[in-house]
Amino acid sequence: MFRYIVRRLLQMILTFFGATFVVFALMFANQDDPIQALAGEKPVSDNVRAVLTERYHLDESFPVQYWYYMKGLLTGDLGRSMAGRDIGEMLSGAWPVTLKLSALAIVVAALIAITAGVWSAIRRGGFFDNSTLLMTLLLLAVPIVVLAPVAQLVFAMELRWFPATTTARAGLYDLLLPAVVLACSVMATQLRVTRTSVVENLRADYVRTARAKGLTPRRVTWVHVLRNSLIPVITLIGVDLGMLMSGAIIVEEVFNIPGVGFNLARGIRAEDGPLVVGFVSVLVVVFLVVNLVVDLLYAALDPRIRYE
Amino acid sequence: MSDTRSRSLAGDAWTDLRHNKIFWASGVLVALILLMAVVPSLFTSADPAVCTLANQNQGPSSTAWFGYDFQGCDVFARTVYGTRDSLEVGLLSTLLAGVLGLIVGMAAGWFGGVVDAVLSRLTDIMLGVPLLLAAVVFSGRLSSPFEDGVFAVTLTLGLLTWTAAARVMRSAVITAKSQDYVAAARMLGAGPARLVFRHVLPNSIASFIVVITILLGTNIAAEATLSYLGAGLGGDAISWGLQIAEARNYARIAASPLVWPSVFLAVTVLAFIMLGDAIRDAFDPKLR
Amino acid sequence: MLGKRPWKMAAGLAAISLLIAGCGGGDSDGESANSNTVVIGLSEPSDLLPSNVTDVNGTTILSSLFYPLLEFNARKEPVEAAAQSITPDKSNRIWTIKLKPGFTFHNGEPVTSQNYIDAWNYGAYGPNAQTGSNFYARIAGYDDLNPEDPDKEGPQKAPTPTTNKMSGLKAIDDLTLQVTLSAPFSSFKTVLAYSVFYPLPKAAFASDGVIVEGFAESIIGNGPFKMVGKWVHDDKVVVEKVANFKGKVPKIDGVTWKIYQDELTEYADLVTGSLDVQTSIPIEALSSAPADLGERFQRSENSGFDALGFPVYDTTWSNPNVRKAISMAINRDEIAEQIFLGSRSAAHAFVSPVVAGYRENSCGEACQYNPNKAKELYQAGKGPSEIKITYNVDGGHKAWVDATCGQITASLGVTCVGNPVGKFADLQAMARAHEPIGIFRLSWSMDYPLMENYLGPLYSSKGSSNFSGFASAKFDQLLKQGSAASTPAAAIKKWQDAEDILVQQMPFIPLRFSNNVYGYSEKVTNVEIDLFMKVNLYEIETIA
Repeated sequence: MFRYIVRRLLQMILTFFGATFVVFALMFANQDDPIQALAGEKPVSDNVRAVLTERYHLDESFPVQYWYYMKGLLTGDLGRSMAGRDIGEMLSGAWPVTLKLSALAIVVAALIAITAGVWSAIRRGGFFDNSTLLMTLLLLAVPIVVLAPVAQLVFAMELRWFPATTTARAGLYDLLLPAVVLACSVMATQLRVTRTSVVENLRADYVRTARAKGLTPRRVTWVHVLRNSLIPVITLIGVDLGMLMSGAIIVEEVFNIPGVGFNLARGIRAEDGPLVVGFVSVLVVVFLVVNLVVDLLYAALDPRIRYE
Repeated sequence: MSDTRSRSLAGDAWTDLRHNKIFWASGVLVALILLMAVVPSLFTSADPAVCTLANQNQGPSSTAWFGYDFQGCDVFARTVYGTRDSLEVGLLSTLLAGVLGLIVGMAAGWFGGVVDAVLSRLTDIMLGVPLLLAAVVFSGRLSSPFEDGVFAVTLTLGLLTWTAAARVMRSAVITAKSQDYVAAARMLGAGPARLVFRHVLPNSIASFIVVITILLGTNIAAEATLSYLGAGLGGDAISWGLQIAEARNYARIAASPLVWPSVFLAVTVLAFIMLGDAIRDAFDPKLR
Repeated sequence: MLGKRPWKMAAGLAAISLLIAGCGGGDSDGESANSNTVVIGLSEPSDLLPSNVTDVNGTTILSSLFYPLLEFNARKEPVEAAAQSITPDKSNRIWTIKLKPGFTFHNGEPVTSQNYIDAWNYGAYGPNAQTGSNFYARIAGYDDLNPEDPDKEGPQKAPTPTTNKMSGLKAIDDLTLQVTLSAPFSSFKTVLAYSVFYPLPKAAFASDGVIVEGFAESIIGNGPFKMVGKWVHDDKVVVEKVANFKGKVPKIDGVTWKIYQDELTEYADLVTGSLDVQTSIPIEALSSAPADLGERFQRSENSGFDALGFPVYDTTWSNPNVRKAISMAINRDEIAEQIFLGSRSAAHAFVSPVVAGYRENSCGEACQYNPNKAKELYQAGKGPSEIKITYNVDGGHKAWVDATCGQITASLGVTCVGNPVGKFADLQAMARAHEPIGIFRLSWSMDYPLMENYLGPLYSSKGSSNFSGFASAKFDQLLKQGSAASTPAAAIKKWQDAEDILVQQMPFIPLRFSNNVYGYSEKVTNVEIDLFMKVNLYEIETIA
């Protein structure tokens, strides 16, 4: 087990460079005129253009640009954004609130999805099962571009239960509404996968054995069956956690949260290579750690799975 | 389950399906949706591209069943004509993601070791690529003016959404691989191909199918998000996603242009989920 | 060990995530409801160093931190503010600026003429790459600070300037500043109101021509408000009233400039009362704004101008009559009312109504909706049967482009589609490279209230935003004569003659002028938004 973890940690380093390379390459492919992007629709004078081109090595070839970036990264200098801000500072400003938001969202999503998933699996084809299916469909059919502003309109502007917007310094309660909206985007899949997995396991031999031993149905379902059904669900949660962090662009925009998704979107629109790669680097590290934890959980949930 | 059955798994499944009402209902619905995508003019005589501001936000009438949108376009006609691009994006991107996810997930789970390490880390790298970035790059590089961008959007969604399916497939294969019946079959002398396709795949595909059927829905809806972010379909394309992204802005004045494409989207996903469920149940050896 | 405690592990993970979520907690903005301060919304400015600020967000925040040399009164005439007088010599080339005595920076330094010279030299110095540097281009010696690149796009770099001081700037004494222009310009005074002409204190400079690291995060200005703490990026800038301010004194004690990513979000805060003023309510919210805000929903004019441009280098569009036909095929009023819901008005001239010299309907018949005449002209001129209108998707232009295309299709019986490109820079690049761009959209808002600020950049042959390829020697000459004219009135005469050339040629078709559509909370009153989309901070009041 220990050797497995060490090996995974070593793989992380390679993956990290792979990911920064891919994203840097994509940003390079997308680079048209970041200097004009900086100035909006107003003209940029030739001198400003020349100086900025040199400052950000924009006329260099891809390997040279990547080299400059990696040289900075390895010496702990994440560089400056096109707007001249220190990227290290931007990261430390944006990550805490995004971590809070996505952690809250994933807890909300997992709680609802797993509970409802198990219930609808037990009563397969029943009223509860069909209404959760309907709810899932509703969530699927209303994309987040619609859900987020509608939630804001109803719960913040009309009912006034929640603040309409938050800031980087938001507390848990302020983040609840955006977190629930975000949770809705991943809940559907988690719920359906839980249901399917539980349905399969309910028919397994060990369930019959456990029942025969005289265990209460509740204990059989919520301990034995659920534990054995969780592997695909936890896998999915691991993937979703990452997607929530980078994919919260719309939610962060609607609720005015200056987090990772917002910064990524801004960087992509402004063709700001160093900014985007900086954010993605941290993102990839988070993915790698989360996926390692998920893989270790497989072994924890199913003793038959061994890593050596 | 025994390997000496006279009928094949597929034959069994077909017998099952023939008597399944849900299968027939969802099948007919899917056929209808496909027909709408191929020959939209069967369903409406109105031209979806003709819009007059004079009709802006007008309610339903006998000529326009769902009323008119902000641009004065016939909502029903646009929803019917939007089926094609939406389905194209949804089905093709899901197909691409499904194939990639299935292959990568099975290979990583079954072989383990170096193959797993390489494929899993590749998955991690893909997870790190922001969807918006890929969409911007692909739509910027692949679409020329006057083109609708269906190819770029499909490719973006297909290439970026297989990761969840792959990881779920991998986890299911890892679980199935360590089950007793696999060990038993191996001891009985089953070759690797037989082990994988006869024993591991049927027992691990359930979660994968669920993820994929839902992915179809999220990908159709994701096109709306991409359109909203300015990296979706363009030109004179008509799609549910574009309709939703546009109508969202005016939902407080006129809800109908937002509601109807959403309903069509929901019904489509429902049909595919039911169909997927029925087919999976029929093929699942454990439910026999 | 792991295998035995999965539940505890899962519970532990959930607890950790909640802990992450909970740590830090929340702190509110701390605005007490009855204080005499207001919260005004805007977007993240690109910078706050005056010479590097050309966006409306930056200039708006700067307007609270700095006191300009002059400002514009209700009749759009320049009135001295920090300056005692601004006077030209007979040739309109040498301008003398006398400062009012007694003004200080927020750190206590007295404001002297040298502070202006230092700031302007820094802004104009090429290697500093300040976005506002072209505003100094009329001052003598600007070229020395921006030597030309010997081979333009080629591999050679522009030489480093030999000096970082413009020869045209001279401090006569502590309160007198003499500016020599490279060419006579009778309206130079008007230009001086722009934010790049603010002074910088000695404390801003680490050494000669070098700004202190981080100065833009905590600006020291000479205005009625000073910064409290630093600029909190993507969040807010807080300013409070300066005690004993020598200039015009505002009625409020402070402003929190709250930064939003999205205008609809900002609107949600306005309706719920977390925000006091929104200077620009998005079109999507306009239909519900009268109901949400009642009397607190207002409208005023600003300097924005929307147009369509033709690639006149393309033979398809080289016939002025075909261009006129397109113009007459568009029903401007319908789009202004139904798509923009009154946030725009139909334009029938090539310059905005906010500048002196504007003539209502100077475009005449060519800008009036007349589908029959349009079709006649179009067919006679053999216009193309397929038209595309290129626009950038990131600016919310799809709705009106689609509607415009619908009108053109209906009037002329041709196919018309919108052609979205990602960014404005893409559109620009296509036009520069003379790619088949079709008709393209264009907007402009002025930097200073002169006709020349529309005519020069948009239509002159060397105009920085003239992407149409339109070049008329006569137009350029009239423009130049206007700038050199002895009085502003004489200048306007020449510029109007130049505008008439545009009416004949129609390289662009004017579409709309923009309006400020703004709203405010129940907490404030006397809210005015000026031509530059800025809140008038001297008039706004809170209701006790």
